[in-house]
Amino acid sequence: MNNRNPRTWNWFGGVAGWLWLAIIIIPIYFVFVTSFKTTSTYFGSNPLALPAPFTFDNYVRVVEANFIGYLVNSVIVVIGTVGPLLIFAFMAAYAIVRGEGRLIRFVQRGFLLGLAIPVQATIVPVYLLIITMHMYDSLPALMLPGIAFGLPLSILILANFIRDIPNELFESMSLDGCTEWQKLWRLAFPMTQPALVTVAVYQALLSWNGFLFPLILTQSPGKRTLPLALWAFQGEYATDIPVVLAAVVLTLAPILVLYAFGRRYLVSGMTAGVGK
Amino acid sequence: MTVASTSVATTAAPAPAGAAGPPATRKPSLILFALPALLFFLVFAIVPLLGVIVLSFTKWNGIGAIVFNGLATWQDTLTRPTTWNALWLTVRIVILSWLAQTPLSILLGVFVAGHQRYRQVLAVIFFLPLLLSSAAIAITYKTLLDPNFGLAAGLNIPLLAQNWLGDEVLVWFVLIFIISWQFIPFHTLIYQGGVRQIPKALYEAAEIDGAGRLKQFFYITLPQLKYTIITSSTLMAVGSLTYFDIIFVLTTGGPGTSTRILPLDMYLTGFRGSEMGVASAIAVMLVVIGLSLAMAVQRLGGKGSRGSQMDGM
Amino acid sequence: MSATSRRSFLALSAAAVGGVALSACGTAGPGTGTGASAGAGASGAASGGAAAGTASMWALSGQPNEGIVKNSVDAFNAKGGPKVQVDFFQNDAYKQKIRTAIGAGQAPTLIYGWGGGGLRTYAAANQVEDLTSWVNATPAIKDRYINTVWNAATVNGKIFALAGNGTQPIILWYNKAVFDAHGAQPPTTWADLMKLVTLFNSKGVAPFSLGGQSRWTSMMWLQYLLDRIGGPTVFQSILEEKKDAWSDPAVLEMAKKVVELVQAKAFISNFASVAADGNADQALLWTGKAAMMLHGGWTYGSMKANGGDFVSSGKLGWTTFPTIAGGKGDIKGLVGNPANYWSISSKATAAEKEAAKAYLKDGLLAKDEAAAFVKSGTIPVVKGVEAQIDQSADKPYLSWVYARLNEASSFTQSWDQALQPTPAEELLKNIEQLFLLKITPEQFVTNMNATIGK
Repeated sequence: MNNRNPRTWNWFGGVAGWLWLAIIIIPIYFVFVTSFKTTSTYFGSNPLALPAPFTFDNYVRVVEANFIGYLVNSVIVVIGTVGPLLIFAFMAAYAIVRGEGRLIRFVQRGFLLGLAIPVQATIVPVYLLIITMHMYDSLPALMLPGIAFGLPLSILILANFIRDIPNELFESMSLDGCTEWQKLWRLAFPMTQPALVTVAVYQALLSWNGFLFPLILTQSPGKRTLPLALWAFQGEYATDIPVVLAAVVLTLAPILVLYAFGRRYLVSGMTAGVGK
Repeated sequence: MTVASTSVATTAAPAPAGAAGPPATRKPSLILFALPALLFFLVFAIVPLLGVIVLSFTKWNGIGAIVFNGLATWQDTLTRPTTWNALWLTVRIVILSWLAQTPLSILLGVFVAGHQRYRQVLAVIFFLPLLLSSAAIAITYKTLLDPNFGLAAGLNIPLLAQNWLGDEVLVWFVLIFIISWQFIPFHTLIYQGGVRQIPKALYEAAEIDGAGRLKQFFYITLPQLKYTIITSSTLMAVGSLTYFDIIFVLTTGGPGTSTRILPLDMYLTGFRGSEMGVASAIAVMLVVIGLSLAMAVQRLGGKGSRGSQMDGM
Repeated sequence: MSATSRRSFLALSAAAVGGVALSACGTAGPGTGTGASAGAGASGAASGGAAAGTASMWALSGQPNEGIVKNSVDAFNAKGGPKVQVDFFQNDAYKQKIRTAIGAGQAPTLIYGWGGGGLRTYAAANQVEDLTSWVNATPAIKDRYINTVWNAATVNGKIFALAGNGTQPIILWYNKAVFDAHGAQPPTTWADLMKLVTLFNSKGVAPFSLGGQSRWTSMMWLQYLLDRIGGPTVFQSILEEKKDAWSDPAVLEMAKKVVELVQAKAFISNFASVAADGNADQALLWTGKAAMMLHGGWTYGSMKANGGDFVSSGKLGWTTFPTIAGGKGDIKGLVGNPANYWSISSKATAAEKEAAKAYLKDGLLAKDEAAAFVKSGTIPVVKGVEAQIDQSADKPYLSWVYARLNEASSFTQSWDQALQPTPAEELLKNIEQLFLLKITPEQFVTNMNATIGK
């Protein structure tokens, strides 16, 4: 931290930190605790009380509803979306920052246009497009629009970051006779790590939790993703809350595990310094 | 591969700030690098967007025939009170969510960037809300906020049993709180990264000069976080334009129309009210606003500057 | 150097795109079957319907209906003739999906709906088949149903859908234990009702539970109020989009009664924050925090499942909505969801339509399916289920509903289903504001009149 002085302990920071912890924890605690309650005891009891009787029924129901299949589909879609997205966005961002000419300026502004396209508005044209391409009810149908819609913001963030790389480094590589392609991968790529990680995390979460595209563009149960599993327990008039929350927990679990293992990489990726 | 220099007009590159180097070499347009992205974007984003623009000049209920309507749809859209209400609410939510999230995220980012052990443990927990989907969060809070069976009854605090979702003012507090709850973790992460990048040398120099923690924060931390703030704010602003899931599940735009922001107004008008033409017009409005917002934020950060904050270090 | 770079560039792009393309290729549209016998695709694919087509069918997920429908379809398919392929979707998700599909000309063969305004929109756009002549020529179908359900399936005198599932009238539920504790009787007139409101408020019990946040719950009040004050013809005029139909004095009175109720604190405090989708409103009834609740018949099943012994120990009471002095409506008028409706997409191939018709004739609400509905606690909208009701564990409730259904003088469909989508959305918005006392009854009338003809 910036303060090396051991005597003046940051009590304000400490207290605020714990307060924020409480705010974060209570709803999450509620989600976990409720997922083990039965629907009939759920309303009778204090929402924060521990489950009595404790039951795994909700989880069993979720798994029986083909949860694993949905999970696999979600993983495929996320990887298939974020992977290409990062590569394409990175290359385009590099081009925008390091390139010259009216064409590239035009392209840059074009991407800005896509920043706030509301997904719900374009759903009908996208739907028609997917059908024409004979990709309805397939997983790629979820990936392709996901990549396209994720591009503008990703390019923006990455471009901002690439701009931060000192020109001197580029110049010195030019002097060594490197092509732009080599500069792209040998210089810009490692130095843009924090931004790449930011974008990857953001887009992965969007893709993991997105439900509009999976809803409209898939149909058969074998092609559904996790967010749709959440809806399986919402009836025509009301929701079975404990079961839904069990589904929420199970949706959360893989990412949590990933986060637990990848956190160090995540943080170091975010803080990969520029010339430290 | 020699980079194809297909730039149409090759101007002499302006000397970048702070760079001493060979005189302006002809910079390639690098358009090939952007090609894959461009392709995807054109097919799956621009083409549908064009479709939406065309639809905004029609009258269509989503089921029957699409009828060309000239400017009448736009006229209808722009004279509806709900549209202007939605616009105003959207502005409000962008501003309020920025105000609520940014200071807190910066402080938390600085807090978590510290290397103390307990802070790292807290960092793990702080990140959790981000992993939940908006729908899940909305369902959770809706249940917690129930005046009879929610948190108020659970903690036995009658003060908490307000008309949270039914009162036009309270519902905004709730909304901003929930949105912040969900997204502050993300921005904290960004700021954490930003703070860790600040060279220690700067702080050491300030220590020597006798500057206290507060001064260090305002004179070193904040200025050095400039680009981070721009990044985070862009994400936040653009993100808030597309807040849909949370509000849809939480209030569906209610009570009345007090949380009916533009994306929601668009969806409800189009898919519930079956007025696809009007909905498309609203969608176009959103795109224009998003574009302006992005350009404004970029300009604030010195869009044209090619220089790096690190130059000369 | 340049060669390897170009190769790696191409390799990279190829890998990215190829990897994406290699994961299963999809189909040409919702009409084409996946797996089993694939019917001809609905999107101009000129593969021509071979032999017997397979009708595609989209239904709502969620037990018990999902299980019942699935069994019905399986039984039908087992007969060896034309086949039906059914997929299940959650309610809100389904509404979104079906509109997109129909709008893109990609509807499934059998379209699930709620009749009324939505059906009218489909019919006006020629998206659903006119079944009138077929129904008239098929006595097995014509005589199967209870009369009241045809109304919502008819547009301009033509039949465009067949009823399925169970009937869901709105019922005045009450907590017998709470009533007994305070020596109260269920109300038969409006005066009775208002007296009960005063009584329960004085005892610290909320007179009525209400999930005001969900809007359509408040709408149920308006439906019965208008029916009792002006009779079913008032809403009929509104449906027919007669100019200023909302200006009927009955409407104004109905709105004023709402204000009266809210000001008398008839509803649980903070009702605008109570959401029906988590069953919070039903919980208020079975935990005794509220004495009465105006809600749909489907809540019987959920109260039975979630309320512990509330239903089984006989604490749940039900009755009809009271009459209002000077009103034109009678106590036999019902409001609610008469049934759900199945239509046939006009864009399907001839073979698919035949398969669909076969199912509607022989599979839908066949004896087994009807019995299954009774067993699950709903009345299927067909004649001749008295025997099953007699044997049911829920006989008291079911026979009461069945009797009401058969003697009903009218069955007005839920307004948000009966109206066209555009005015329906306006209605829900205005209802919320009326209950919050943010608009006056007069403003309500003006706002709703403005939606006519949109």
